[in-house]
Amino acid sequence: MLNGILTGALYALVGMGMALIFGVMRIVNFAHGAFMMLGMYAAYVLFQHTKINPYIGFLFAGVVLFALGWLTYKGLLKPIRGQSDFMQILLTLGLSLILSDGILLIFGADYHQINIPLLGKNIHIGPHITFNAPWVISFFIALVLAALLYVFVMRTMIGRAARAIAQNRYAAPLMGINVHRVQAISFGVGVAAAGIAGALLLPVFYLYPGVGDQFTLKAFVMVVLGGMGSIQGAAFAGLVLGVVESLTSLYWGNEWALAVDFVIFILVLSLKPSGLFGSQRV
Amino acid sequence: MKRSYLLIAAVAFALSLLVPLVVRTDYVLQILFRIYLFAALGLAWNLVGGYTGQLSLGHAAYFGAGAYGLAILSREGLPLWLSLICAVLVALLFAWLIGGVSFRLRGPYFALATIAFAEVLRVLAKNLVKLTGGDVGIQVPPMFTSAVIGKFYLSSVGLTILAFGITVGISHSRFGYYLMAIRDDEDTALSVGVNAARVKLYALFISAALTAIAGALYGSLFLFVVPDQVLSIDISNEIAIVAMLGGAGTVLGPIVGAVVLESASELLKSIFQEAHLLIYGVLLVVVVLFMPEGVVGTIQSVFRRKELAPPPGFVKPQAQAPVIK
Repeated sequence: MLNGILTGALYALVGMGMALIFGVMRIVNFAHGAFMMLGMYAAYVLFQHTKINPYIGFLFAGVVLFALGWLTYKGLLKPIRGQSDFMQILLTLGLSLILSDGILLIFGADYHQINIPLLGKNIHIGPHITFNAPWVISFFIALVLAALLYVFVMRTMIGRAARAIAQNRYAAPLMGINVHRVQAISFGVGVAAAGIAGALLLPVFYLYPGVGDQFTLKAFVMVVLGGMGSIQGAAFAGLVLGVVESLTSLYWGNEWALAVDFVIFILVLSLKPSGLFGSQRV
Repeated sequence: MKRSYLLIAAVAFALSLLVPLVVRTDYVLQILFRIYLFAALGLAWNLVGGYTGQLSLGHAAYFGAGAYGLAILSREGLPLWLSLICAVLVALLFAWLIGGVSFRLRGPYFALATIAFAEVLRVLAKNLVKLTGGDVGIQVPPMFTSAVIGKFYLSSVGLTILAFGITVGISHSRFGYYLMAIRDDEDTALSVGVNAARVKLYALFISAALTAIAGALYGSLFLFVVPDQVLSIDISNEIAIVAMLGGAGTVLGPIVGAVVLESASELLKSIFQEAHLLIYGVLLVVVVLFMPEGVVGTIQSVFRRKELAPPPGFVKPQAQAPVIK
């Protein structure tokens, strides 16, 4: 249960990135997990070459992924903006295949793991509760970043502009909003959130090119569960998903966790399509 | 579709049926089998994804149902052909369940729901060890005993002809026009009295049945299936890419797509080895950015533009890609 909350905070970061991209900007990003995987590899490469710990290296991953997201929007998504979702899905699906198989070509299919002294450390609270230190650190970093992301979307000019575009794509440019600039930045931020979550997961996960795949779908589950367009909803849904998965693992076994996620997803879509916090119907 | 096209297609199919008389290498026949299998799968997908405009990314569910259905039922002692029929019925049951829930959703939610269903089935197949053998996989009975590859190849051609015939028939029928009406504007289709829910479900039934037969053929050739192979999202993607590459909503598109994609991936396999999905990604991005109508769609619209060349001095309206919602 408590471990679930720790995982959930990282899920929340992935989910909030997707909530910004899919919920607010309505870009169906099937490459989200691949971007997360890239974040992991960025932190990994940094660690291998400079021995910079992922808990600092995540900043590097964030910057790289932001740049990559910005370029992706400008180069690939902008030309097909305004076309149907169908095209976006196929494009981002293609992109995710390119990213994960590109990484496969460069780094091979081997599983990697980094060794930092922190890994073996545990934190004891009381006689029975023990936490693994890397999880706790990741949790607090994720919490801070999630708060920052929330502030970005709700309080800054760019975030407000992004939400204005979501409300009315035609009125926003009339109000002097540079639609493509705002969306490129927002896409970059959303992707960076996924990348940072990836970097923070590096110490506790095995690294391989397909590691992000299941996170794409999980991110969609979080956005839908939290409610379209709701950043805090996605964050909450991330925590819920983390807890549900850890309970599933505990009672039924790890392999059922994914199935439970999707059953939740299908149930939410068919029974309460507005999600937990959303005001809009999907 | 013009009669001359049909004639060409008939000749091409007839020649394809004669191929095993000439080609005797198993390796080549296996590649040809794969091309035709995916042509049939692409045609089947096209009924839902192309003509009806519902982006299904979960066709692995029916593919896997075919392979696993055949394996499990014949293990339980049913004769081979009865197992195959029952496997198709299982796929139809899945289609009914998946379609019943997912068709109420539109756009990306439909695609996501189909993925979710297929993934749930994959997880089930991995974990219901008693029924499916779990991760270890399950043995699939061989459908043919002698001259194996040649017969599998012929079956795949046969399946493609069947799917092609169905597609041609549907694309000119009232049913087909209903499907295209739903693709172009579902609300308008509803308002003129098309029972969209039922029509979409029927299209999915046909598609799922064909996909299940293809899955059974595939499993039976390799004699063994595991969940991460026949129920994986890669299969769903590959089917959709074949159809989109050739041209969704065209009769010939999926066949062209299968030829291009499968031969490209076979050629590049030696270079990229495990990373051969890279080529799928690149092709997808190129298709979306530069020819959203696919190979066949793009060629057709070039010809159409020539035929309808405007009189001199006429300001030509911008050519529009068909809107797929």
